[in-house]
Amino acid sequence: MSGPNGMLYGGDEIGALVFDPGHHSLRVGYAQEDTPKADIPAVIGVGPASHIPDAEEKVPDGNITQSAAKTGNELRHYIDVTEIHVPRPGMEIQTYIKDGQVDNWDLFEKMLDYCYSKVIRSPPEHHPALFTEAVWTTRPAREKLAELLFEKYQAPAFFLVKNAVLAAFANGKSTALVLDAGASQTSAVPVIDGYAIVSAAVRSPLGGDHLAAQAKIMLNNMHIQMLPIYSIQVSESPYEERVAAAVPGVHHEFPGGYHQDFGPERFKLTECLFEQTMGAAQLVCSAAGACDADARPALWGGVVACGGLSALSGWPERVARELAARAPSSHRLKTHAAPSPQERRFAAWLGGSILASIGSFQQMWISSQEYDEGGKGQLERKCP
Amino acid sequence: MADILDILDIEQPGTAEITRDSILHGDKMKKKYVTAKAARRPEGMHREVFALLYNDNKDLPPLLPTDTGKAYKQTKAKLGMRKVRKWVWAPFTNPARKDNAVFYHWKRKTDESKEYPFAQFNKQVSIPSYSESEYNQYLKSEDWSQAETDHLMDLCQRFDLRFIVIHDRWDRAAFRDRSVEDLKERYYNICGILSKVKTNPWSNTVTMVNGEKRVYHYDAEHERKRKEQLRRLFDRTKEQIEEEQTLLAELKKIEARKRERERKTQDLQKLISRADGNSAAANQTAITNDGMNTPSTVSSSIARRHDRKLHKKKLAAQQRPMRAIETVTVEWSGIKFPEARGTGVWLRSQRMKLPPGVGQRKTKAIEQELRLMNIDIAPTPTEAICKHFNELRSDLALALDLKNALTSYEFELQALRHQYEALNPGKTLTIPPSICNMSTEADTKPLGEIIDVVGSPGSHNNTI
Repeated sequence: MSGPNGMLYGGDEIGALVFDPGHHSLRVGYAQEDTPKADIPAVIGVGPASHIPDAEEKVPDGNITQSAAKTGNELRHYIDVTEIHVPRPGMEIQTYIKDGQVDNWDLFEKMLDYCYSKVIRSPPEHHPALFTEAVWTTRPAREKLAELLFEKYQAPAFFLVKNAVLAAFANGKSTALVLDAGASQTSAVPVIDGYAIVSAAVRSPLGGDHLAAQAKIMLNNMHIQMLPIYSIQVSESPYEERVAAAVPGVHHEFPGGYHQDFGPERFKLTECLFEQTMGAAQLVCSAAGACDADARPALWGGVVACGGLSALSGWPERVARELAARAPSSHRLKTHAAPSPQERRFAAWLGGSILASIGSFQQMWISSQEYDEGGKGQLERKCP
Repeated sequence: MADILDILDIEQPGTAEITRDSILHGDKMKKKYVTAKAARRPEGMHREVFALLYNDNKDLPPLLPTDTGKAYKQTKAKLGMRKVRKWVWAPFTNPARKDNAVFYHWKRKTDESKEYPFAQFNKQVSIPSYSESEYNQYLKSEDWSQAETDHLMDLCQRFDLRFIVIHDRWDRAAFRDRSVEDLKERYYNICGILSKVKTNPWSNTVTMVNGEKRVYHYDAEHERKRKEQLRRLFDRTKEQIEEEQTLLAELKKIEARKRERERKTQDLQKLISRADGNSAAANQTAITNDGMNTPSTVSSSIARRHDRKLHKKKLAAQQRPMRAIETVTVEWSGIKFPEARGTGVWLRSQRMKLPPGVGQRKTKAIEQELRLMNIDIAPTPTEAICKHFNELRSDLALALDLKNALTSYEFELQALRHQYEALNPGKTLTIPPSICNMSTEADTKPLGEIIDVVGSPGSHNNTI
């Protein structure tokens, strides 16, 4: 912690956990580590419980009806890649997140249960929890999350940070214009001195999911059937990235075993992301334009690209080019994107990991004592 | 090192070195080493042979490779000289927190009593505070309600005076929207008033200069203007920027043209002054050196003076559109012939050689003129001929320069006239005859006459 010359350096680890819930996946891991412990798809398979496919059908005896009756109204939740990829009769894939905010709290609780018991394997009351949130998260949703953490999980401390701020931190900046291209939407958020400028944040629904939907339409038009059909729902995003990204080999084999060479379609598909009115570059321009004139030079000087969609090969270069064409000539434009796609995908989580392990951050946590005294109303004050 | 000491039979101090081995095995090794040193090599025995027979332990070399060292048996390697200090997962309280929350972290057991080191980074901005009565007494404003002011102060505290962020988080549902400048104006205004009234000044707005308080004054009007200008600058469209750039390029072009014109006039002026100087010099020589003082020279000098006046007139006419130009008078005759060349004997014809500074074209033109005047290009170089021939050629060169300048000005005049007529269709520009006549006269006059007017020695030449 402190060096021989009396300087303070390094961080302070207090065993904090960082949760970064996104549309495509939830990242969870210990603060101070450089990658999340787990990257769990943000969908949960909900199906009738105890339906172990073969065992039951093979041994028909009197007990089946009883167990079926007992478990019929009880639902089981299947979480994580290996579970949801198993085809089960009656299982439905559901998501708990909608428009960047947690929508289905029951499912989200199941997800958190899974994180604590299977990923962290440690009781939640030992670990302060830092959550990321979208910039436009509403106050009830934030308070609900705090309530859940303190009351159900007995977390010793809790904190909420806007993901754009964390993405800026992950790229070593406290003032930046964060262009986050995620699964459900693309957003541009100005961050000044570690505070997101909420009123200037802009977003468009052009994200990875949109790209996937477009790809599906295209494949349908080309009379290529995707089999089995449920695999689309789950593995959409990575699959589409594989198709649309400019991988040298344009030959692609589908899960169904069908082969086809893809040429210009791969590039045509992604054009919608750079469309005039809602494209990434336009978002950046309008976000910067909505900011105070004094802040604009700094923002243009630090445009940070992150998010899963930015892992698409060629995406950062294309954005940089479009920005250079649109940026006002009076500003020096500098676009920054972390070199590795993983770093870009996990930017918000990484920022959280950095933040939660800084020694001077430890005074910021909302502790359970504070929560007991002040209630959830102080969340707005403590986590700007 | 040990090897060299061995070869030179120098006794080795046993304790000087610290090797990995000595650290690993500690004290035992050292003892053995000291005893081993007792064995000395017998006289006459080769070092290599001795080394085969005796190792440090004075044992015989083993027949089989063995491993008797204790390296593997010792469980812990001692890497440092000191004892390791213990780390513990210990609870701590952070003095920067108000709630005494207990978190756990790794810390040295010895550091247990120390305060949380990162608490020193907990810095707060001091924001002025006021009571209700103070507010009512001093801070009342028509524009701001107390609730709004309270909200502003609260946000200032929370966001450490980051006014852009404060503006972003401003409660627009409860209060009306205000600009960043409005917020700053109110805040600094309050600070100013309170620091005057209260004894406790706030460091960020008040500075003490020579014992008197100086309150930071925020010039909101100026800031608003500045912001507006910035905004306008940043919000220019691409077309506007392009237009500005083309205009700038045009301006540059115009300036370049202007400079070109000025340069030309200056050149001309130089030429004229040269001519003047030259003729004056010629006059002097005619009067003093020649001593002949024939009426012809006198008349010619008068003619030249008249000519000079004419030149000046022309010059004035040319000068009118320009800014004042310094008239540069250079004592320079058309061609300067060097006086003495080298040492020893030299041919007089050498004096008639044109200096290397004169260009090929000029030389050709001079020769052409000479031919027109029926003068030998290489006359017999007597003393007088040499002198006059050189003078003639010098004046010829000058006359050619003047002629060139005149034609270029004539051309420019015509070009400007065409430009004028193109810009104002239907109008014709009548050039005043004072400018025009000169040129036509010059054009119609036979060449010899001009030379006669400009360069005086020509007449001499003819007589010779």
